[in-house]
Amino acid sequence: MKFFFPDSQDQVDPSFDFITEERDPFRVRQRDDLYAHEVLQPAPFDGLLVSKAIVDGTAAASTGKYTVAQRHRLYRQGAQAFFRLNTGSTQLKIMGDCGAFSYVNEEYPPYTVDEVIDFYDGCGFDYGIAVDHVIFQYEPTVVRTDPRAAEWVRRQEITLTLAADFWKRCSARDVHFTPVGVAQGWSPESYADAITTLQRIGYKRIALGGMVPLKTYEILACLRAIDNVRNRNTQLHLLGVSRYEDIPTFTSHGVTSFDSTSPFRQAFKDDKDNYYTPKRNYIALRVPQVDGNAKLKKRIQSGEIQQDQALRLERTALQLLRQYDTGQVDADPVLEALQAYSAVWDGKSDRTAQYRQTLEDRPWRTCGCTICGTVGVEVIIFRGSERNKRRGFHNLYVFGQRLRAQLGKDDS
Amino acid sequence: MTRIRATARAADKNTPAGGAVQLLRVPALEIRQGPTRRLYTFAIDGKKVPQFAAVSRVRRDEQKQLHGYQRPEVLNHVAAIRRYIESDDNPLLPNAIVIAFDERVKFVPATTPGNEPEGTGYVRTGTLQVPINHLWEDVDKPGFIVDGQQRCAAIRDASVDAFPICVTAFITGEHADQRSQFILVNSTKPLPKGLIHELLPTASGALPTPLRVRQLPATVLERLNYDERSPLQHMIQTPTNPTGVIKDNSVLKMVENSISDGVLYRFRGDDALPNVGLMFTVLANFWTAVRDVFGEEAWNKPPRKSRLMHGAGVISMGFLMDAIADHHGPGEDLPDANEFAAALKTVKDDCRWTGGTWDFGDGVVWRWNDIQNTPRDIQRVTDFLLGRYRASLTTGNGRKAKRRR
Ligand SMILES: [Zn+2]
Repeated sequence: MKFFFPDSQDQVDPSFDFITEERDPFRVRQRDDLYAHEVLQPAPFDGLLVSKAIVDGTAAASTGKYTVAQRHRLYRQGAQAFFRLNTGSTQLKIMGDCGAFSYVNEEYPPYTVDEVIDFYDGCGFDYGIAVDHVIFQYEPTVVRTDPRAAEWVRRQEITLTLAADFWKRCSARDVHFTPVGVAQGWSPESYADAITTLQRIGYKRIALGGMVPLKTYEILACLRAIDNVRNRNTQLHLLGVSRYEDIPTFTSHGVTSFDSTSPFRQAFKDDKDNYYTPKRNYIALRVPQVDGNAKLKKRIQSGEIQQDQALRLERTALQLLRQYDTGQVDADPVLEALQAYSAVWDGKSDRTAQYRQTLEDRPWRTCGCTICGTVGVEVIIFRGSERNKRRGFHNLYVFGQRLRAQLGKDDS
Repeated sequence: MTRIRATARAADKNTPAGGAVQLLRVPALEIRQGPTRRLYTFAIDGKKVPQFAAVSRVRRDEQKQLHGYQRPEVLNHVAAIRRYIESDDNPLLPNAIVIAFDERVKFVPATTPGNEPEGTGYVRTGTLQVPINHLWEDVDKPGFIVDGQQRCAAIRDASVDAFPICVTAFITGEHADQRSQFILVNSTKPLPKGLIHELLPTASGALPTPLRVRQLPATVLERLNYDERSPLQHMIQTPTNPTGVIKDNSVLKMVENSISDGVLYRFRGDDALPNVGLMFTVLANFWTAVRDVFGEEAWNKPPRKSRLMHGAGVISMGFLMDAIADHHGPGEDLPDANEFAAALKTVKDDCRWTGGTWDFGDGVVWRWNDIQNTPRDIQRVTDFLLGRYRASLTTGNGRKAKRRR
């Protein structure tokens, strides 16, 4: 079972100083920064999923997450060098896709098959997913001839036609990556139909799209329907699905890989599950920057709140957190400081009870990852991208551990 | 709460509640400016300024009346000045802070002979008496900082014992007067970007970070514009070289792209200073080749006659330079002008810098002068040039592209 992490230009800057919150001004983004697979041992994933929409942008949003200069360097030097895949102990793979979610509202995918092949081959990827068009809905009882299914059928047909074309062009152009077909559907039967067609075209690797919002039992229903038509050597990839508890079950249905950002994104998107440990998740301690919190900034600009007062509360909270970590103060003054500052930037939620658990359990002390070992209590502070992304990396590390445990792999 | 007390106190400013008022006496010069205007100039430890002067933050009260006039501190600006004061071994803040005092502040002229306004006509020495009280809140203080709040905040926060600064002050009872002075000192026009870039290579020390980062590209640009071995000598338009055909911004962008992601990155010097000489050499080699390959027709013409001299041309050619150099080899193994020229010849016939139409393969007819200096058009031309160049590596002149695995 291989876990791919979707790249979204998420790196950390090793020159960042947590006390002064300054970085080396001459640092070059991405080049001097570090990826999770460079920071953590072992690499927390088996490969990266890199999407054309993020690198090249789409016609609707011409700017991707990459600068023009970065994009050209990726094409010029190839993924191997650009993502520094061989710097860690594990040799990582790169899977490419089109980023269908970025054009879900369009009538038709904005890329031609040849453009997409240029992207995969030009960057030197290992796997390339055919051009697809996402079907959002899941309606297991709606049949193909039902008028409600008209748009879903249209999208599935686009996806299958493009998959046939993709396969043909890949063979004609003698590409260096393995083509991967995409099955889109709205019900177990429609997924199975798509698999049948893709196998007939010649695909031995097939990605299942549109499953992000599905419940586990719904995914399993689809996998069971697919079992009825799946060739024994067909390998499945689950796009955007990360339930590590279910991974062993998925394995028995031919799933050999999946990708997900959620361990990373929960670090700074979730309301409470921000910091993973092998046993449970913790809330991270929110100390936003006075300058970085839009609501607080507005209140200061309007004169409603005094800037120096906000700054004082912010600094006190940070200082007490660090003193707590070195055993100079108890949890109570820290919780009071967090609450006092929260009253200024948030004013609604009182997270004191959850914060107390995080503080008292001190999970960052017992974590074996490089991030926690290096930055200590800073990893648990919900504040700015350098801390938040490091916590995201830590979560990837724990996710990797949980996954290996689920699969019965030795984690020594 | 503060507001109510301030109003109550306004009636009787000389006797604030609690604590004795002390007088801070500082030697000062009084300068007569307008018929009734008096300016005071003095020096004081910047750490002491908060004792008698505050920043008047703009806000509205419950009746929507406007109070104060200052915006909040710009935190990263304050941090930059603080860092400078702390880390520079010889810091200098030459600009005076401007403070508006209310009428509680008095100037007492010295009684030395010749110290009459009639003596010089406009200046006399004396002592400025400033009331202070450690119990006062900001609104009770006799002074308001009209200009220099970021500098004052930086000195306040800096971990230094003292930092003397110059202060220029005036006395007025009118808030409206303070407000108009504040607008006056803060509405001056910033320096034009081009002039800043031209001054950067020979500036040092106290520069804000974004400008320090720009210093290297600006230095490389200066070499390209003035070194007599440069094919671009006198061709880059700057404030002191207004007849140049290529906009300074286009060259800066090209150089910056290559420093961050292209061949020039190799010479930025991780532990040492950047090697401007090698940066210049590779750029000079490349642009010499561009001049030789594309010839007089496209060279040194204004952008409206030649798109090669236009932002889109300069920046996209910069990406081509990076691609050719990367293909040539790593480290200091750089193509010379002939090698660059050989590579450029593979794309030459597809370029339409001065006439005709580009064939980008998108079915659209792009006339040569349809190309604009926009990110989209730059991307279009760049993708096209790089695509052609890559194609030439796999098919052309017997050389096979290095495969990546
Ligand atoms: Zn950790």
